[in-house]
Amino acid sequence: MNVSSEGGSGGKGGSQDFDLNLAPIIDCFTVLITFMLVSASFLATGIFDAAAEAPGQAAADTKPPAVHLEVTLLDQSTLEVKLSGKEKFTHKLPPKDQDWNLAALQSELQQIQKKWPEVQSMTLAASNEIQYLHLIKVMEASKKIIPGVLFGGF
Amino acid sequence: MSQRKNLFKKKRSSEEMTLQITSMADIFTIILVFLLKSYATSSIEVQPSPGLKLPEGDSKDAQVEAIQVEVSEKGIQVDHQAVTTLDNFHFQASDLNSSGIPNSLNHSFQNQKKKQTLIAQANPDVKPDKKILIVADQRTPYVTLKSVFASAALNGYSDLKLVVAKRE
Repeated sequence: MNVSSEGGSGGKGGSQDFDLNLAPIIDCFTVLITFMLVSASFLATGIFDAAAEAPGQAAADTKPPAVHLEVTLLDQSTLEVKLSGKEKFTHKLPPKDQDWNLAALQSELQQIQKKWPEVQSMTLAASNEIQYLHLIKVMEASKKIIPGVLFGGF
Repeated sequence: MSQRKNLFKKKRSSEEMTLQITSMADIFTIILVFLLKSYATSSIEVQPSPGLKLPEGDSKDAQVEAIQVEVSEKGIQVDHQAVTTLDNFHFQASDLNSSGIPNSLNHSFQNQKKKQTLIAQANPDVKPDKKILIVADQRTPYVTLKSVFASAALNGYSDLKLVVAKRE
């Protein structure tokens, strides 16, 4: 690459050609790119908010709600929705297409929230061998209706 | 005749190959600009260990700065320090106490809490935090997670922030 400039000190002719040395620039770029590739994270992550109660401890300063809602993930993709307190029932939601019936769960939660609007949190539990992936799926579906999730079953 | 001579005249091709450095500089500039744009210098960047697959989820909650617990198939790390080993995502029986709380993890959380308390005592602007980032493999069974959550809650870390990979 040539760069030329006209005018110079005391020279006849005036143009001063000089070559821009690209090799050191390439050298710097290579080092910078290598550093960036090693340190950059291409994984976009999100956060789900949840809470956990210490086993055997209950929040002493809060007024107990009228009803307590609990969703449990059972084996073979079965969901159990349990309400206790002023109203009691236990509904089991069988799987749909061999997967969790999230539409039925959301419908159930919507009905509960219509009847008990003060219910803003629920307890989420699961059988011992249920994988974290399934918990997140159910949690994501439930949070659209009931925003607060408390892990239980300790 | 002269055409024949031309036909049979072998052109000596130059054996020198010139490297197009200008094109390389162009490519490198574009790559560098892209990497600079995606480079994150924040301390809250979550880098799961190789082999750890996060569950997918759509979450709009913002990233927070908190003590990080990583649960993988072979072990648990707290703030990138190995705390205990797991056997296919399960705690060793010898590590669990009668309540199902892992002693090693409980001890680690106690140390972290002590550190936070000391910092809070020295600096009134810093308050002890209840938040904890959970970076767990999607295959982790609930029995292991239960123990981790219970241990965290016992030591005051009741505000769980579950890290998920954003869906594309």
